[in-house]
Amino acid sequence: GDSWGIFTFLCAALCNLPALPALNCSEELGAGQSIQQTYDLTRYLEHQLRTLAGTYLNYLGPPFNEPDFTPPRLARAERVPSATVDLDLWRGLTDNARLAANYRAYSRLLCYLRVLDGQVGTAELRHRLAHFCASLQGLVLSIGGVMSSLGYPLPAGPAAPPAPPGAPAAPNDFLKKMDDFWLLKELQTWLWRSAKDFNRLKKKVPPAVVTLRLEARGF
Amino acid sequence: DSHIQYERVGADVTMKCGSMDWDAAVTWTANGTDIDESHLNGSYLILKNVDLSQSGQYSCYEGSSWHLKYQTYLKVGTPPKEPVLMCRSNNYPKGFYCSWHLPTPTYIPNTFNISVIHGTKDMVCEKDAVPKNRCHIRYLQLFSTVKYKVTLTVTNALGKNYTAVTFDEFAIVKPDPPESVVAKPVPNNPRRLEVSWQNPSSWPDPESFPLKFFLRYRPLILDQWQHVELSDGTSHTITDAYAGKEYIIQVAAKDNDIGTWSDWSVAVHATPWTEEPKHLTTEAQITETTSTSTSSFMAPPTTKICDKGAVVGSGAVAVCWTAGLVVAAYSVLFI
Repeated sequence: GDSWGIFTFLCAALCNLPALPALNCSEELGAGQSIQQTYDLTRYLEHQLRTLAGTYLNYLGPPFNEPDFTPPRLARAERVPSATVDLDLWRGLTDNARLAANYRAYSRLLCYLRVLDGQVGTAELRHRLAHFCASLQGLVLSIGGVMSSLGYPLPAGPAAPPAPPGAPAAPNDFLKKMDDFWLLKELQTWLWRSAKDFNRLKKKVPPAVVTLRLEARGF
Repeated sequence: DSHIQYERVGADVTMKCGSMDWDAAVTWTANGTDIDESHLNGSYLILKNVDLSQSGQYSCYEGSSWHLKYQTYLKVGTPPKEPVLMCRSNNYPKGFYCSWHLPTPTYIPNTFNISVIHGTKDMVCEKDAVPKNRCHIRYLQLFSTVKYKVTLTVTNALGKNYTAVTFDEFAIVKPDPPESVVAKPVPNNPRRLEVSWQNPSSWPDPESFPLKFFLRYRPLILDQWQHVELSDGTSHTITDAYAGKEYIIQVAAKDNDIGTWSDWSVAVHATPWTEEPKHLTTEAQITETTSTSTSSFMAPPTTKICDKGAVVGSGAVAVCWTAGLVVAAYSVLFI
């Protein structure tokens, strides 16, 4: 009903990131270095998330803050992009596909987190969430930067609401909390996965590659 | 015919002599030894408050004919206590293994049954032949948000018990300790030790899942360890060793991003290089001993310090230059 409309509007407004400017400094910054920086960012975010998640789950209260809590994944939770992937498929991902998956995932996760930010009760949580969202936006831009410097097109932005308009908003408080729980869980898993994704990219993309590509494009 | 009978420690056991009447005259033996009549109630054998030593073969013979009427094997034991279960991934991302044991023995045979649930899916944990009480699982999916739940049930003739553990894919990652740790003194460097090691062979993909290392070392005479964390490479040079002291060195490994540190590797011992004659085995030793017997006006030979093979690090270069200057100074004096 109403709340769904608000959600859709919020998401569309918050997710309309400006088009990524062409990075002029990409010739100085080898792709290898950017990958290292992106890797470092994911580690930093993962560390930040631990504190944030702890605080947030306590705010949600039991059973969400219990260590063994494993709620079922309802269909609605599938809107949040999952890091889970078949092992062989993950290994076989091209650099482009690997980066794009990360870019898409964090763009959408950022979007959801921003909506969360508008709803939480305590000032401390709002502050933490805002800080985290800023760092997460930095990560999205960093990944975008790596993709641009390697000559890959950025995936289509998350301007559209991340779910079909027909899906209802959480009908009650508990289900909403469950959505929040899974959002944080997927975010945590993505950050663990990204460390591995960027490790792989580090090995496969030596700094020399980017200068060759830039020459070809007449920089 | 023969039976097996399981009874709890401390229980009272009554054995009947097969189909014989209560008032029949019988003789019972335990492992071939006659049992005193005081333990009999008619033809029934009464064992009160049994203990482990009473396990054995019990036979009942008809009084006069000495026909074997009944035989049973008594096994005294206990029902199982809650088992101890541990799961670990030392071969990430291939999979993980679980191993278990009973905290106290039951003295009778036990059966173990293990089940693994991942979300709503049942997974099969394949039992290892060796070691026993261990099974392994291959990951089908990586980076899962859903926890794994492993339940172990132990059953024997006297009862059953179980335990369960729940964990995230990332939480149980713990590599095996590094292998082939080697520590060597560095020639002409009395404060250095060169340590090198290898990735544990069970870690399948160090390229995509690199390991980082933790080195600890101390002289045998001290209790305090020194620590160095290394984010890449499989070697390190200790530069602050106490001269002449024997060191003990160990290395541990961890996935760069997830899981916990391995156990410490096997300890290696090494002593830094010292100038004691018994440690030198090169030609330089001979030149040194011959030169000390000559006149003090003679410039010390430069071969010992500036020998190509012995020059290591900038410290040795400085000495080389100094020796050269000394020779030059002496030469000027003599001209």
